[in-house]
Amino acid sequence: MAASRSRLHVLLLSCTRCSAVRLGQPLLFDQQYRTISLSRSSTFQRCFRTIRQTTCNQCLDHRLQSSPRQQELFQIEPSRAYHISSSCSGSSRVESSNDAAVQDSYRLVESEMSTLCDSIRHELSINQGELGTIVRYYFDGTGKAFRPMVVMLMAKACNFHQQTEQLISDSQRNIAMITEMLHTATLIHDDVIDASDSRRGKDSINLVWGQRKAILAGDYILSIVSTILARIGNPEVVSIMSQVVEDLVRGEFMQLGSKEDENERFKHYLDKTFKKTASMLAASCQSVAVLGGCNDAISHIAYQYGRNLGIAFQLVDDLLDFVSSEQQMGKPTAADLKLGLATAPVLFAAQQYPELNPLIMRRFNQEGDVETARSLVAKSDGIEQTKILASEHTKEAVRLLQHLTSSNVQQALMRLTQELLTRQK
Amino acid sequence: MRSQTNLLVPLMVRSCMRESQRLSGCTSKQLLTVSDKNYDSVRPMGILGFSKPSEWNKVVSDAERIVGYPTSFLSLRCLLSDELSNVALQMRKLVGTRHPLLQTAKDMIHDGKHGLQTRGLIVLLLSKAAGPAPGMDVTEHDMVSGIFPSQRSLAEITEIVHTANLIHKGVVNMADLMPADGAPGDMEFGNKMAVLSGDFLLASACTGLADLGNTEVVELIAGAIGDLMEAEFTGFTDKHGNPTLPASVTFSDWLRQIYLQSGSLLARSCQAAMKLASHSTEAQHDAYNYGLNTAYVQQLSDDLAAITKGEYSDIRMTAAPIIMLQEEKPDTAQALLHQDKLNMKQIVSELHSSGLVVECRKLCDDYSTKAVSALTSLRPSDAKTALINMVHAIRRI
Repeated sequence: MAASRSRLHVLLLSCTRCSAVRLGQPLLFDQQYRTISLSRSSTFQRCFRTIRQTTCNQCLDHRLQSSPRQQELFQIEPSRAYHISSSCSGSSRVESSNDAAVQDSYRLVESEMSTLCDSIRHELSINQGELGTIVRYYFDGTGKAFRPMVVMLMAKACNFHQQTEQLISDSQRNIAMITEMLHTATLIHDDVIDASDSRRGKDSINLVWGQRKAILAGDYILSIVSTILARIGNPEVVSIMSQVVEDLVRGEFMQLGSKEDENERFKHYLDKTFKKTASMLAASCQSVAVLGGCNDAISHIAYQYGRNLGIAFQLVDDLLDFVSSEQQMGKPTAADLKLGLATAPVLFAAQQYPELNPLIMRRFNQEGDVETARSLVAKSDGIEQTKILASEHTKEAVRLLQHLTSSNVQQALMRLTQELLTRQK
Repeated sequence: MRSQTNLLVPLMVRSCMRESQRLSGCTSKQLLTVSDKNYDSVRPMGILGFSKPSEWNKVVSDAERIVGYPTSFLSLRCLLSDELSNVALQMRKLVGTRHPLLQTAKDMIHDGKHGLQTRGLIVLLLSKAAGPAPGMDVTEHDMVSGIFPSQRSLAEITEIVHTANLIHKGVVNMADLMPADGAPGDMEFGNKMAVLSGDFLLASACTGLADLGNTEVVELIAGAIGDLMEAEFTGFTDKHGNPTLPASVTFSDWLRQIYLQSGSLLARSCQAAMKLASHSTEAQHDAYNYGLNTAYVQQLSDDLAAITKGEYSDIRMTAAPIIMLQEEKPDTAQALLHQDKLNMKQIVSELHSSGLVVECRKLCDDYSTKAVSALTSLRPSDAKTALINMVHAIRRI
C-alpha cells in the first residue's frame, strides 16, 4: 500500500484556483503554462483566460454547475482503482465487448468514415507522378482509423449539444481527415528515424523508395494538411492544430533522451506521451467543437477529453507491447524496448526492481537487456499499475463527456472510451 | 545550468565565425573550404559562391540597414531552442563523414550574407517599400522601421522553410551508401538529426504561420512547401538528389522546375507580405511577380556564371543553356551529353558557338526588367532602390 502511494505521488498536483491537492493530470498544468508562455496572438489570449478559470477540473465542474458526483475521481484509492480496472480485463468476453463498442461507434459515423480514405486519396492526387504514388501508399483503407472516428463522433456529439443536430460539417470532416493524414506523415518520418522496415502490413516507404524520398513525401503530406487546414478559414483552428505539429516534433526529440532522476523520468514519459499521441486527439476534438460553434467551456472539455483518451490510448499501447503476441498486433512486440524506450510498465517495474535503472539509462543496448527487462516487468505489478493509470484517464474522459447533452453518439463515445482498456490490438 | 550552456553554443559559433572573418579579411567561402562537390543539391542555389563579394556585400548591407536588421533573420526562438542546440552539440559525431547535414549546418553559420537569407531580406524590403495599404489605420507604434511585426515573422518563416528544405534534401539513402561516405551507423545518426531538425524547423514555421492569424497567408506558404517537395520528384534530380537531365526536356520544363524549387517560395512570400499589410490584389500580384522573376534571374545568372567562368565542376546538367541545347539541337546534345565520360570543355564551347550563352544572358536581362517593372507602382524610396539594386547585383554576378 505504501509503495502504491509513493508511486502515485508523481500524479499529485495542486490547483491554482481552489488550492486543493489532487490526484490527476500533471500534464494539464504543464501543457497550459507552456501554451501561455508561447502564444502572443489574440486567439490564444482568449483561450488562456478560459484555461486559467478552469485550471482544476472541479472548479470547472463548479462553473458548469454540475453534480458533486464528479469529485469521486479525485479521491479514488489506488487499491480500488486496481479493483475496478482488473474487473474488466483479460477474458475473451471483454475482448468481444471492445470490438462491439468499436463497431457500434463506427456504425454511427459509417457514411462519413466510408468516404474518408477516398477523400484523402483525392486530396493527395494533385501530384500524378511518383510523389503522388508514395504519399497515397499507406491510405489503402486497411488502417484502423481510430483517430478520425473519435473526431467525427466528437463532432456529432458537439453539434448535438450545440444545436440538437448531429450532421457533421465539411470543415469538421476535414479536421478528421487532417488528423489521419498528419498521423500518417508522422509514421513515415518515425519509420526513417527508427529504421523500420514494415508498416501496416506492407514494406515501409523508406524500404521501397529510400529514406530521402520518404522524408520529402512526409513533408509533402504536411503541406497538403496545412493547405486543407488553412482553407477551413478559421484562424483559431489553425492555431490549435499547428500546435500539434510542434508537439509531435518535440515529443520525438524527448524520445531521444532519458532522465537520471526517477520522478523526473516518469514525468518526462507522460509529457512525451501527451505530445506524441494525446495532443493530436485533444486538438482535433477541440477544433471540431470550435467549428461546431461551441463556447470556450465546451471546446475546452472536448480538448481535455481528447487529451485523456489519447494518454490512455498510448498507455494501453505501451502495455500491449509487453503482453500481446506479434500475431495480434501486426507488428513486432517488445518493439519499444528494442528501440531503447522505457515506457510505463518498465518505469513502474523499476520502482520494485531498482536493478532496472541502469538498463533504462543505457537504453537496453547490451546483450540480454531486453529479456531481463521483460521478465522483471512480468514479475512486477508494472502492467497492473499501467492499467490503473490508463483507467484514471479513461474515467476522467468519460466524466468530461457527461457535460455534453446525452445522445446516442455521446453514449457511444463513452462506451468506446471505457472499452479502450480492454483492447487487444 | 546544462541547458544554459547548450543555448549559447550556436550563438558562440556564429559570433566566432564573424569575428574571424573580420580579422582575416577573407570571405567566408575562403575561410571554410570544404570539398562539397558531391552535394551540389544541398548547397543553396543561386548567389552563393559566385559573387563578386564587394558589390554584392554592399547591396546586401545597404538593404539590411534599410530594414533595420543587422544580421540573421533565422528566428532566435528556433536557434536558441533546446532541441536545435542539442543537434548542434551532436553534430561533432558527423565530422569525418560525408553527411550533407554537416555542410548545410556550416552554410547556415557562415553564409548568412551570401544567399541563405536573401529571401527574408527581400520580403522585408518589399514590406517597407510598400508600407501600409492606403486608408489603413496605422499608428507609428504598429510598425518598426516601417515594417509590421507580422511581416518580420513572415520573413523569418520564409527562411525557416527554406532551411528545413535544405536539411531534409540532405537525408541520404542508407541502401546506396559508399564506404567513403562514412560508417553506416554515423550516417544513420546523421539522418536522424537531419529528419528531426528539419521537422523542428517546419513545425516552427507552422506555429509561426498560425500566429499571423491570416489563413490566406498560411495557404500561400503551405503551397510553397508543397512545391519545394514536388521539385524533388520532377526528374531534374536523381534519387540521391543530384541534378540530372531528364529526357526530352524543354525550356518550359526548366521554368517550371525553377518555379517549384525557388520561385514559388519567394513569390508567395512576397505576395503574403502584401496581404499582411492589407494591400490590393494588384499590389499582391506585382509583389508575386517581383519574387518570381527575381528567382529566375538568380538561377539564370547562377547557371551562366559556371559556364562563362569555365568552372567545369560547377556546371550542373540542369543549367538553362544545356537544356536549351537539348531542346534546340537534340542531335548535337545527344552526341555531347550522353557519353560515358562527359567532355565539359567541348560542351561549353558548343554552348558558346551556338549562341545559347548569349541567348541566356538576354533572357536573364529580360527577367530582371520584368522584376524591376513589377515595382513600378511603388513610391520612390530607399527600400525600392535597394530592391532594384538587388536584382541588378544578382544579374551581374
